[in-house]
Amino acid sequence: MNSTTRRSWLIVPAHDEERLELAANSGADVIVLDLEDTVHDSRKHEAREKIRDAIGMMRDAGSEVFVRCDPELLYADIAASAWRGLSGVVLTGLTSADQIAEADSILSQFESERGVVRPPPVGEVREADDPRGPEQALETHLSLDTGPANWHAEELIRASDRVQSISLGRADLKTDLREEPSGDLHLLPYLMQRLIVIANALEVEPVGAWWRATSRGLSANYDDTLQAAITGRLAGFRGALCMRSDQVAALNTGFTPSEDDVGNARAALGSLPAHSPKSRIAANTIQWSEACARREQAAALVRNTGGNDHD
Amino acid sequence: MTRRIRRSGLTMPINNPRFVGRSWTRDCDYLNFDLEDSVPQSQKEYARTLVREAIQHGQKGAAEINIRINCAYPDVDVRAAVWPGVSQINFPKAETAEQIKHLDALITEIERIRGIRPGTIRIGATVETTLGVANSYEIASASDRIDSFGPGTGYDMSMDMGVEMFVGFDQFFYNRGEGELIAMALGLERDGNVYMDDTTGNVGNADLALNRARASRKAGLRSGGGLHPNVVAPQNEGLTPTQEEVEEARRVLEFFMDMDARGEAEDDMNGRTVDKYEAARASELIEWAELCARRNAEKASARERTLAAEQAALAKAAPNEQSVEEISATEPAPDTLPEQPSGEPQIEESTPPDDPEQQETEQ
Repeated sequence: MNSTTRRSWLIVPAHDEERLELAANSGADVIVLDLEDTVHDSRKHEAREKIRDAIGMMRDAGSEVFVRCDPELLYADIAASAWRGLSGVVLTGLTSADQIAEADSILSQFESERGVVRPPPVGEVREADDPRGPEQALETHLSLDTGPANWHAEELIRASDRVQSISLGRADLKTDLREEPSGDLHLLPYLMQRLIVIANALEVEPVGAWWRATSRGLSANYDDTLQAAITGRLAGFRGALCMRSDQVAALNTGFTPSEDDVGNARAALGSLPAHSPKSRIAANTIQWSEACARREQAAALVRNTGGNDHD
Repeated sequence: MTRRIRRSGLTMPINNPRFVGRSWTRDCDYLNFDLEDSVPQSQKEYARTLVREAIQHGQKGAAEINIRINCAYPDVDVRAAVWPGVSQINFPKAETAEQIKHLDALITEIERIRGIRPGTIRIGATVETTLGVANSYEIASASDRIDSFGPGTGYDMSMDMGVEMFVGFDQFFYNRGEGELIAMALGLERDGNVYMDDTTGNVGNADLALNRARASRKAGLRSGGGLHPNVVAPQNEGLTPTQEEVEEARRVLEFFMDMDARGEAEDDMNGRTVDKYEAARASELIEWAELCARRNAEKASARERTLAAEQAALAKAAPNEQSVEEISATEPAPDTLPEQPSGEPQIEESTPPDDPEQQETEQ
C-alpha cells in the first residue's frame, strides 16, 4: 500500500483553464487531470495538449498529479500524460484484467522511452544517484465504476503491481444508484464496505467517502462533503475524490483526525497495554494525524519555494 | 429481445380455481401460477395437469405467464409446465449452477418437442438459502435464459438464516447488495426492491406497496410482485414514472443536447449537474414510461375483448341473464390468499384437458 497522504483527490477537466487555476489553489493532496467524462469529445485533443504543463503547475502548487484516462482512448491519453511529475493514471470503465495489462504495457513503454518515474512524495527530494526501485513505477488507480468492475475487483487489482488504490469512481452515476427513503444511495453502503474489505485484503488503498443522497455525483456542498469524509474515515477510507475545488478543504478536514480524536488516542495509549487492539488503533490515529500535518507542511514548503524542482 | 415489463405479479396456487379463474381481471403484468409451496404434496400431481387451463385464464388479461416449479421435481414439473403461452419457469431455492443447467436442458428438450421457438422460455432463479447466496454468481450466469436476477430475501431466506422476517431493519443487507451487484455485473435486469420498515408482514398493505414501489423505481429497480390483489395497482402505479417526471426528463435531454452541441460535457441546470449519465437516465425513464403505457393499453384491450366475448356468449346462451360486469361486481375480492389450499380439488371447475404430451410419451 502506498504510504503517501491523499485525503483529497480533485478531478479537473484538463482543458478548462479557469478550473485548473482554481484547482492549483485548492490545497488538494491529489489533482486528477481529467481526459474522460468532463471533457467533451470535440475537446479531447485540446485537453491532451494542456496536460504536460498542467502537471508541472499542480506539482508546483504542492499536489500530486494523476490523469484520468478515457478507456477507449487509452494509448493517446497515456502518451499525453506520461511526463515528469506524474504520479499515475486513473483507469475507468473496467470490465476485464486485460485492460489493466494494456495500461501497464503502455505505461512501461513511456517510462522506458522518456525516463519517467513516479516522483517522491510532495516536499521530498530524490537524489540523482538514488537507486531506481519499484516505488518509482507510475501507479494506476482503479475507478470501479461499473457492476463488472466491482464484482471482479480482486482480479483487477491482482492484474498489476502498479495498482495502489481503488475507488468506486462515479459508480452511482454509471450504474444509476439513486436515493432511498433512508437518505442512503441504493447499494452504496454495501459497495463501499465491499471496496474497503477487498482493498485491505489486497493491501491497496481504498479511496472514497460515505456519500449519501445529498452528496451524489461527488459535487456536494461543504457540510455534506465534510460529513461524508468524517463518516468515510471512520468506515476505513483515508481520502476521497471530489469534483469541485471548494470541496477540498472539507475532505482534508474530514479525513484528518480531529484534536479530540488525537487527544482520546493519546489518553488510550497512556492507559492501555501497548499490544492491545485499542492501543494499536490509537497509535494509528496518531500516526495518521502526524502524516496529515507533515503533508500540509510539505505542500506549504513547495508552494513557498516555487515548486518541486528537484523531483 | 424487447424489454419485459414486470411491475406487478401475483403468485397463486394453481389448484385454486377461484384465484386462477379471476387472475385475468387483476391487471397484473405477469401471473405466477404455483406448483410449489402453496400446493400441498397430496395435490402436486393433480396441480401439474392444470397448467394449460391456467395459461388460458391468465392470457385473457394479457398477463405474462410464469409457472413456479418445485426444485425437488424439476423433470416432471418442467414437462407439466412448459407449454406455448408460458414465458418463464420460476425455480425456487436455487442453490447451484448445476440445478440451473439441468433445468435449461429440460426446457430446451420440451421446447423442441412442443414446437416452442428455442430460447423462448426464461428462467427465474430465486435464491432463498444461504448456500444460494454464496453461489449466486454461478447461478445467475448458468443459463442465457436468465435475464433478471435479484437478492435472496423472504420467508425461506429468514428460515435458512435463522432470523425473524419482520424485525424493523434490513437483515438482508448483504444479500441485497450481492444479488444486485451480480445482476449488474452480468448485465441482467435487477430484481428486488428497496428495504422499507415493515413489522406487520401484511401482504395486502396497499400503502406500503405503493411507497415501496415508488422508492424502488427511484433507486433504479423496475419489477414487483406479491401475494395479494391489493398490491397490484399500487405496484403498477409506483413503478411507472409520473407525467411530471417524464416532462423533467425531456427537459434534461433537451438541456443535454444543447450543451453537447456547444462542446460541453457537463453543465448546471437549475442546481443540478447534467452530463451523459443524467441524459442516459432521462432517456431510460422516457423509454420506460412509454413501455409502461403500451403495456397498460395491451392489458386493458385484452380485458375488454374478453369481457365482450363473454358477454356475447352469455347473451347468446341466455339473453335475460346478468352481464359479466354485473356478475363480476357482485363477487367479493378475497382478503388474503390462504397459506395452503384445503379440501379436494374441484374437478368440475377445472377439468384437465387432454394431454397430448401423454400421448407423445405413450407413442
